[in-house]
Amino acid sequence: MTPAHFAFSSAFMLGLAGLAFHRTHFISALLCLEGLMLSLFIALSLWTLQFDSMNSASMPMILLAFSACEAGTGLALLVATTRTHSTNRLKNLNLLQC
Amino acid sequence: MSYMMYVLLFGLVLGLVAVASNPSPYFAALGLVVVSGVGCGVLVSSGGCFLSLILFLIYLGGMLVVFAYSAAMAAEPYPEGWGSWPALRLMVGYVLGVGVAWVFLGEGWYEEDWGGFDGLVGVSVLRGDMVGVSVMYSSGGWLLVVGGWVLLLTLFVVLELTRGLARGALRAV
Repeated sequence: MTPAHFAFSSAFMLGLAGLAFHRTHFISALLCLEGLMLSLFIALSLWTLQFDSMNSASMPMILLAFSACEAGTGLALLVATTRTHSTNRLKNLNLLQC
Repeated sequence: MSYMMYVLLFGLVLGLVAVASNPSPYFAALGLVVVSGVGCGVLVSSGGCFLSLILFLIYLGGMLVVFAYSAAMAAEPYPEGWGSWPALRLMVGYVLGVGVAWVFLGEGWYEEDWGGFDGLVGVSVLRGDMVGVSVMYSSGGWLLVVGGWVLLLTLFVVLELTRGLARGALRAV
């Protein structure tokens, strides 16, 4: 495993751990999701650059477009949650709690 | 200067440690800004100046700005800082995890592995990654149509999610 490969793989794993173990705020989870997308963008760009495969240079662009869609949807969910629950703390999403 | 890639890759991992162990969303947004800046440096060191520019303009200047002012919804009068015990514990745990993974996966890393490798066209105005992205407009035209359709669909999804007139109370948010 080359150092750059290790770097963005561990960056992805860290973002995933942050998304899974987020504690208080909903927007912290959304920001960790953005970190995941950023590490994937760097991974795909380094694929293009280090393997001299120019055809796959469109992959990070398409990834960025779709990750913008996902970020917009996540923020719309954040706004909807803040509207109905008056806060974006995760302890307030307790409708299914026994 | 030969250790530039080393420093940038370290910054990438440590920045995402900071995002994952954030005590407050403001610090997570700041960590993401640092990570995207360092990621741009990594891409430039590998010869991809166009993709690095795209990352700065679209990701940092478009998406993270929206996240930064949406973090105002998480405003609290006394936000936790980095010195608070849960954040410090998470940060130390993540750094130890990365260190353990380094020990197991880092065999055969010699000094020349850390340098940026720019194997594309030597001196030219047309860099490799820019030419590669232009393929998206020629052979990948249908992909652009699908991408545009997905973006339009997302616009309607967002409008539907935030339409509070009939279902939620009309609040100041």
